[in-house]
Amino acid sequence: MVPAWSSVPPPPGTQAAPGYQTSYSATAYTPVQVRQTFGQPFPAPQHAYPPHAAFGAPLQVAQPVSTNNTTAGPVVPVVAAPAQEPAKRKIDWPDSVRNYVQRSFLPANLNPSVSRADMEAKLKQTISQATDSGVMYSINWEAMPLPQELIMEERSRARAIHQSQSVSPAATATQASFQQPAANPPTNSKKRKSSDLTDVGIISPPWRQNGNASRLEDRVSFSGDRRLNADETPSKAMSKSQKQMEKRLKRFDGCYTTRESSPPATENKNKGPIVGTCQTLEKRYLRLTDEPNPALVRPEPVLRQTLELLKKKWRKDQNYSYICDQFKSMRQDLTVQRIRNEFTVEVYEIHARIALEKGDLGEYNQCQTQLKALYQLGIKGKVIEFKAYRILYFIHTANRTDLNNALADLTPAEKKEKAVKHALDVRSALALGNYHRFFQLYNDTPNMGAYLMDMFVIRERLSALCNICKAYKPNVPLRFITEELYFESDADAAQFILDHDGQELLEDQDGKVVFVTGPKACQIFEAPRAKAFARVDIKGQI
Amino acid sequence: MDAVFEHFAKGQVESNGYELSKSLSPSLPNEQLRAIWKSCNTHSVKGVVKRHVHASLDRMNVFAAKEDPKYVQGWIDVYTAYWKAVGDLHAARDPASDSKGSQLLWTKVYESWRELLNTILRGYNSLGFEAWTIPCLYVVLKHLREFALKADFERNNSSSVDTAAQSTFQDDFNPESDQNRVLEDCARQLNRAFNACLTDRSELENSRKIGIYYVINLLFKTYFKLNSASLSKNVLKALQAGRGDMLPLEAFPKSQQVTFKYYEGLLCFLEENYVQAEEHLTQAWNLCHKDALRNKELILTYLVPCHLLTTHTLPSRKLLEPYPRLQKLFLPLAKHIKKGELHAFDLDLLENEDEFVRRRIYLTLERGRDIALRNLLRKVFIVGGFEEPKAEGDKPVRRTRIPIAEFAAAISLGSQETIDNDEVECFLANMIYKGLMKGYIARERSMVVLSKSGAFPGTGV
Repeated sequence: MVPAWSSVPPPPGTQAAPGYQTSYSATAYTPVQVRQTFGQPFPAPQHAYPPHAAFGAPLQVAQPVSTNNTTAGPVVPVVAAPAQEPAKRKIDWPDSVRNYVQRSFLPANLNPSVSRADMEAKLKQTISQATDSGVMYSINWEAMPLPQELIMEERSRARAIHQSQSVSPAATATQASFQQPAANPPTNSKKRKSSDLTDVGIISPPWRQNGNASRLEDRVSFSGDRRLNADETPSKAMSKSQKQMEKRLKRFDGCYTTRESSPPATENKNKGPIVGTCQTLEKRYLRLTDEPNPALVRPEPVLRQTLELLKKKWRKDQNYSYICDQFKSMRQDLTVQRIRNEFTVEVYEIHARIALEKGDLGEYNQCQTQLKALYQLGIKGKVIEFKAYRILYFIHTANRTDLNNALADLTPAEKKEKAVKHALDVRSALALGNYHRFFQLYNDTPNMGAYLMDMFVIRERLSALCNICKAYKPNVPLRFITEELYFESDADAAQFILDHDGQELLEDQDGKVVFVTGPKACQIFEAPRAKAFARVDIKGQI
Repeated sequence: MDAVFEHFAKGQVESNGYELSKSLSPSLPNEQLRAIWKSCNTHSVKGVVKRHVHASLDRMNVFAAKEDPKYVQGWIDVYTAYWKAVGDLHAARDPASDSKGSQLLWTKVYESWRELLNTILRGYNSLGFEAWTIPCLYVVLKHLREFALKADFERNNSSSVDTAAQSTFQDDFNPESDQNRVLEDCARQLNRAFNACLTDRSELENSRKIGIYYVINLLFKTYFKLNSASLSKNVLKALQAGRGDMLPLEAFPKSQQVTFKYYEGLLCFLEENYVQAEEHLTQAWNLCHKDALRNKELILTYLVPCHLLTTHTLPSRKLLEPYPRLQKLFLPLAKHIKKGELHAFDLDLLENEDEFVRRRIYLTLERGRDIALRNLLRKVFIVGGFEEPKAEGDKPVRRTRIPIAEFAAAISLGSQETIDNDEVECFLANMIYKGLMKGYIARERSMVVLSKSGAFPGTGV
């Protein structure tokens, strides 16, 4: 919600009325740029929508023909008399206003990048201004831009300001015209119409309302570009430390962390996704501790070029620490702009594969978790390949609950796909202790699953050796070990045994090396086996 | 409103928590809710409630607490919040309210009910509500969870575009948790209630700790529903840490004991700690009311697989008689394990795979294949018959040297696919390693040499 909403709007009358009209005439129809950026055609402002019966009234906005308004409180929560001051003024809303509200929430007019909360806030603002300034009946509601259009416009203007770090003359002009009428009271007047994204958050966060910092802020009258610098004020730093503290708290919470209850989070809520303007291809990863700055975020077309560049660089240089860093910053840019499409999936998939290849399971797991969520949204990608990895990964981490979930997540068709079937076979071979089959499967792993299997092949070898030591008497040929446990050569097998202090178990019999089994051998391999199966702890695992 | 305070007065006079808790029940016919809601309005509610509370408390002869204005005010707040929640609930239940379409009525109910919880918790934490009133907390929590489920259901089925909740800049988002947004909040509230109970340091006989297992059980239930059973661990840890200053579980109502033991067993089960799981589940089973079929069925769902792994025993037809669903799940499996029919076993597992996975017993039951295999190998051993007696009158001795080829033939038959000898050896090695079969493999001679005394421990041969 807009934090400043509860503050009293300027009294109806002289000053605000003209300002109101000018502001709207100034902002009415300029959404061309927006249309381009979002690729979503605006609904042309149509006249006289018929009241749509099938469309229920949206959250908090009462239906015009509400029957039991006696019980449900005033019909006017649009202006949101908050619960504590109920029914203060009864206003008879003209039909034109009601139609306007309804029109805003018509599905055809909804803009997915504008959240409902934003729209409601904007509606409240618009209508209460009209009420307070007494123009409610005179205004042409039919021609009034919808709240989502107003919001998009504000955003595009904010972007324009960001883009040209110094304010362009045109922008200054509009800016000035907005600020004139509402210059004196620091309320939620039209001033905010021209506000950029950071401004919305700054208006009155709770910690600002008392203490020294706020007084400083109040005295400063921002112009467009100065407002950006407001990020550097001490109070901002305070919010930063607040967030950090919160993060620290969350770490120990163990329970569901409260998204809703944290003040900085609500601050976020007000904004749609940002749109980056950065044009450089490469960017170092830096963990965000504050609102992202659009000037440092790359939009999707740039990110696509980045991906191509990174692919080339990876093929050429194989510098993992560089690549990982770059991919993390890409992922961050995608996240802050809330881009979730096939390109996003591709980025995560490629990063996951590279991480696998380098055995960076922590990073791999982050990608995998995100991929799962992205696939769940119905975005296409290499679903089979990654579901197979997922199973292998949970085998490695011996996480039974997640493994069970991963199984539940498979459709019958998916189970028949080669990669998934392979992973399932691996799982069942291990569950039944069938090391013979397991190593056969290891030999024939689709995609990059072998990198994952490498992670647990040693422990399975130890386990199989324990089995063999206990079950066979008096010995088995070393060759048998090599073949059963899929070592590259007899030498490798012998080395593995030597590595675990089994030198006395290897004997030469008639020119053949044999591996002496029995209780003693068992003892030697039991300890490392137990150790290898002890909890697998991986950074970044959830 | 009068009926509400009838319960309140009676409860207070008798110090009867369950009677008192009736005054906060939302499960009333809708007309009654309507009557309560209509009996006053936003302006008058404070006064009305105040009058009623005072009148009720005045009926008590000796009671110091009623002199405490803070205490009295606490109850006034509780019933004011209750009145408000009743209003929202009435609106949500009212069939006529369908016309309001996309309004999330149950979310409103949830929120006002949570406000009621807040007043109650405040009462416990700082206004001196006594421990005997704890059933009030039960009622409020129980319905809080119900309303949360309803709110989530309603939101997930409403068409409203609601992306606001996802607008975090965190690196990850989780569509699943978005589905359960309200229930997750409910889990937090339950956790608060848990702490309110746990941290009460008054004398044990007048301590809110008496309410702890009820809260814990609700909390477990919610965590399981949210697919984050692992969070229950924190609760158990906190409980363990405070156990020195707590009544033993046996002192709590049996219903609470059963539920708690069930969840405790289930948590062990999920961690593959089958021995302990079996212990807890058996306790739950023994305490469970004989007519609580549903609960017994749930307990058996996990107790049967536990038993299979720990003692290699199968459920009898008689045991499962009252539970057709369990019969369908377990009886074919049991039959095929018994007969050592590997292929049929695999098919059983496949047929009910979805159900098994959903109940989280698939991975456990799968290990029953070992027992099926053991039974099959045992048959081979028995069919092998006896050695030629060395001397007249000697006790007959079973043939203990068995060619691997014989086992291979049996396994190939049983699983209906050709298995090569190396893999068969691997199976045999497993049997020996796990102690299901005693003996050793002599690879050079392609023979298995079984123990003369008890080649298959626990099976009579």
